[in-house]
Amino acid sequence: MSLLRSEWIKLFSTRTTWVMLGIGLLCEALLAGLYVGLVSFREIDGVEDDGIEGILTGTGLLMTLMLVLGVLIVTTEFRHGTTGSTFLVSPRRWPVLVAKLAAAVLVGLLAGLLYVAVNAGLALPIHSNRGGELPPGDVLVEIYAGVVASFALLCAFGLGIGAIVRSQVGAIVAAIAFFFIVSGLPYLLPGSIGDYFPAAALGALHGDIEGDGSLSQVGGGLVLAAWSLGLWALGTLLVTRRDLSD
Amino acid sequence: MPELEVRNLTKRYGSTVAVDDLSFAVEAGRVTGFLGPNGSGKTTTMRALLGLLRPTRGEALVEGRPATAMKRPLETIGAALEATAFHPGRNGRNHLRALAAAASLPTSRVDEVLEMVELSGAAGRRVKGYSLGMRQRLALAAALLGEPRILILDEPANGLDPQGMRWLRDLLRAQAAEGRTVLVSSHVLSEVSQVAEELVLIRDGKLVSHTTLAEFTAGGSTPSRVRAADLEALAAALGERGARVGREEDGALLVEGLGAEEIGELALARGIAIHELAPQRSSLEARFLEVMGDEESEGS
Repeated sequence: MSLLRSEWIKLFSTRTTWVMLGIGLLCEALLAGLYVGLVSFREIDGVEDDGIEGILTGTGLLMTLMLVLGVLIVTTEFRHGTTGSTFLVSPRRWPVLVAKLAAAVLVGLLAGLLYVAVNAGLALPIHSNRGGELPPGDVLVEIYAGVVASFALLCAFGLGIGAIVRSQVGAIVAAIAFFFIVSGLPYLLPGSIGDYFPAAALGALHGDIEGDGSLSQVGGGLVLAAWSLGLWALGTLLVTRRDLSD
Repeated sequence: MPELEVRNLTKRYGSTVAVDDLSFAVEAGRVTGFLGPNGSGKTTTMRALLGLLRPTRGEALVEGRPATAMKRPLETIGAALEATAFHPGRNGRNHLRALAAAASLPTSRVDEVLEMVELSGAAGRRVKGYSLGMRQRLALAAALLGEPRILILDEPANGLDPQGMRWLRDLLRAQAAEGRTVLVSSHVLSEVSQVAEELVLIRDGKLVSHTTLAEFTAGGSTPSRVRAADLEALAAALGERGARVGREEDGALLVEGLGAEEIGELALARGIAIHELAPQRSSLEARFLEVMGDEESEGS
């Protein structure tokens, strides 16, 4: 608990976190607001659209930012050499990584809730003012829950990659490339193997439209959680065994 | 039981041997100077003691146990490793707050240590704008946070101005006087010779000497420069007492093997007026260089 408080202080005592959350939410508000405010959603593809995609515009940026924030939670320590003082307080290192995981999940949830607040407070009213139909309440709750969960899991995913790669730039590139590009490739394979990779799992978690995935929303969440936890465990093992000589 | 102990510590990085079968122990309640040229393995040894790296062979123990087995780490051992190890965008106070939180220490303790290192005024500024000396003070503040029984300080004098150096010496003395164990490394003897009671000298990762400062000083030939009314008589008298007597370029005597007091008393007993009697202070440093092989004395 004390280690978690320490991580929380670290997280919010640099500008990066504030800037990332601020920019993410601002862009979400702008994009979602503009989209539902200006685009004539009824005409898209000639298909009847329930407006969900429009409302969720801007999620992608925040998801990427969550992934990056997760990476930074661990790589900044290696980059600036603060691992020395951190692991002096807790020479057994795994509890620190547990605290970091908890902090990543919490900040992801926080960002998710802020996201929902902005979205429900801005995009939904604009949408319905223009006569757009809203999905039923329970569907909306499911969608929002999926987004909030995905933010937390993406942050944890980034943390795992950060602990494995350690180099800041390398880890950011690796996390984005792996998540958004590489893990989508097995999707092209026959069978349902691709469903169990992060990209598809994220899609399922968002109740996504494109895929004909076999995973339910909860299933997608669990698969993504398993990936995040697995990467975190590997990263923790590596950090625990590593010599800290700089 | 010694407070700090390394036993047959060896640390290899690939084919490079940073520390080579090093053994020494540090007892409680005194300042021990850990001396050696840059790259001699001081930092590696300290990091091994702190559990930050795994020995290739041997052990590094804190109060008889590896650092990873410490119960309340920050209250057992405080360390200032490198002056640069801060997040540049975080302010000094928040750096300490995060550490205090992790060790379940009250935030009031943060303000206390900031006061102790005279950094309260700059605590709200981001570390990016700190001078090297301010970073050293912040690192010291972090080390003092848990009121630890043991302090490990790696080159804490780097970047300090002369007033800062005096302040640091006073601080270390006070810490030792309160019964704390202090291990302070340096590559310059003069930085620690005024506070350290014991010296551990290493070179190329090997122990060169573990001695008290008094023995180290006595063991060396601390020569005195002497001029007197009757130099020849005095030289003869000194010779009888077993001193080695040489000549300076201007004709003055250079006396080794006898202290200044003994030389003065001998001259008085023989009725020879002393015109000058000056112990050659630089000899301590000279002896250090002699022991260390005189390869490096300055720089970083």
